[in-house]
Amino acid sequence: MNTLIIFSLLVVLMLTGMPISISLGLTVLTFLFTMTDVPMAAVALKLFTGIEKFEIMAIPFFILAGNFLTHGGVAKRMINFCTSMIGHWYGGMGLAGVLACALFAAISGSSVATVVAVGSIMLPAMVKQGYPKEFGAGVIATSGALGILFPPSINLVIYAIATAGMNGIGPNGEAVSSASVGQLFLAGIVPGLCLSFLLGVTTWWRAKKLDYPRMPKATWRERYQAFRDCMWGLLLIVVVIGGIYSGKFTPTEAAAMAAVYAFFISVFVYKDLKLSDVPKSLLSAAAMSSMLLYIITNAVLFSFLMTSEQIPQAMAAWMTAQGFGLVAFLLLVNVILLAAGNFMDPAAIVLIMAPILFPVAVKMGIHPVHFGILMAVNMEVGLCHPPVGLNLYVASGITKMGISELTVAVWPWLKTMIGFLLVVTFWPSLTLWLPRLLGMVN
Amino acid sequence: MFNRILNHLEEWLITFLIGAATLVIFMAVVHRFLSGVPYIQDYAVRLDVSWAQELCIYMFVWMAKFGAAYGVRNGTHVGVDVLVRQLPPEKAKWLVLFGLLAGALFTGVVATLGAHFVWENGFHFALFHTLGLELGDVPEGPTSPDMELPTWIAYSCVPLGSSLMSFRFLQVAWHFWHTGEVPHASHAVAGIEEETTPAAGGHP
Repeated sequence: MNTLIIFSLLVVLMLTGMPISISLGLTVLTFLFTMTDVPMAAVALKLFTGIEKFEIMAIPFFILAGNFLTHGGVAKRMINFCTSMIGHWYGGMGLAGVLACALFAAISGSSVATVVAVGSIMLPAMVKQGYPKEFGAGVIATSGALGILFPPSINLVIYAIATAGMNGIGPNGEAVSSASVGQLFLAGIVPGLCLSFLLGVTTWWRAKKLDYPRMPKATWRERYQAFRDCMWGLLLIVVVIGGIYSGKFTPTEAAAMAAVYAFFISVFVYKDLKLSDVPKSLLSAAAMSSMLLYIITNAVLFSFLMTSEQIPQAMAAWMTAQGFGLVAFLLLVNVILLAAGNFMDPAAIVLIMAPILFPVAVKMGIHPVHFGILMAVNMEVGLCHPPVGLNLYVASGITKMGISELTVAVWPWLKTMIGFLLVVTFWPSLTLWLPRLLGMVN
Repeated sequence: MFNRILNHLEEWLITFLIGAATLVIFMAVVHRFLSGVPYIQDYAVRLDVSWAQELCIYMFVWMAKFGAAYGVRNGTHVGVDVLVRQLPPEKAKWLVLFGLLAGALFTGVVATLGAHFVWENGFHFALFHTLGLELGDVPEGPTSPDMELPTWIAYSCVPLGSSLMSFRFLQVAWHFWHTGEVPHASHAVAGIEEETTPAAGGHP
């Protein structure tokens, strides 16, 4: 009963169009005030302590790093490098776009940043080369979504935070601890590579069928030159991923180092970002991170309410009582997440859904790391389809195409992504293979 | 006039906080590396940077509270707008107004709760102690583990930031009532406002 009240209240408040963070907070306050006698002082304290964790602070740092990279000419050099390597194949610029998105995704934590950084350079260039606008927009909008699968990914950090400290009970009654940022980052690599490959194949196949133009083949000398130009950007992958796995940095420290490094190369090495523009980058990163941190604060309040009302446990019990098998549960999760992707942005979905679904998933015997990656791939699909696919809006801003036009344009790649989602969902080894190989998870 | 000063203060504060927090963590990491280098380490270990992590957290929490207020003015907070977009403008107007006032109410309540909490956790003591007033059995309040900062100072961002946010919601509501416009930021990536403003797509 309480579950129903809480969720109807939340949905009604959300539908008024008020910020998601406010609707979460108001739901908690209203419920606590009218139906329980939890002391209100506890709520005030939670608003501070809810985000008082060092792991969470990776988010503002990654956003800041992404901001510097987007405007600092790193994307431009990566694109040149990718084009020189594979531009002469069928749909060469499209393929180079996929590769550039994958590379850029590996240094920035957000999909939108990836679409903006690669798209705003790649799309006009593709149109100039004689590709139809739809083709370019389809490639970039979908490949940009790789941003939340490749490490470092803000979404995976959020999943780790949302489920942190939740001790699930496995199918045999054993305790299962939640996934760490490091484990999730590592687990994202193989699915990310697979998805990039599949998106590349889709691009190649369409370009071959429709006979799109190819670029002249670059000489090895040009390739070397392009590689040297973008090397500074590529080194960031080493700093972040290498730093975390060699144990030199915690993920948050790696994020801070990435921000400083990105600042340094954008301003002093590539000189594409003027020192006078730095405060503007800082301000917009601060605004963006505050928005996320504010949702996180209120989502922490919300999951505090969930826990105190025992809702996840009740749902887990209900689902087991219904005799849901693993397959049915996973399908249900996908449907719920894809449906939620129609209304909300990925961070909010993960923050609200992960704490609810996590105990159930663990009870069903799903690995916490696998579940996190599954959610991330779901969010990727959500980013690429209307009505709230952020990537679509960004791509629409760059290409000046309407959203409905773009929806048609991304469809071939979206089909690939949905197929891949099913593979990730039902084949846990794809995700868990690399972390297991390196002994990060059992 | 007052409003302009407030706007600038808000922007400067959050810009400074994110920049400074980055430098603090960078410095702490560099310090840790230098502590492992022969010759330099003798000097490095004399500096104690164990407070860096805590300072960074506090800076970001402050940034989050004031940045959230800035976000109200700038429209960075994301909401679910499917229903609002379906409704005819004269009906949608009431819904938007309700949303804004609900935002003001929530942040107002939080500000009050936060103020109460801060008062009980040391501000009461600090104020009366400074003024030399009769204290009775008012407790001194806890301090933070690393910096030994009284926690009421750190926590005061909740009442301060939330009051500002509440004020911003009222301001936006007032503006909306008179002009029918709410602020809407582009999708969150800096410097490309002119490219991503999705004016044509019907998305707000």
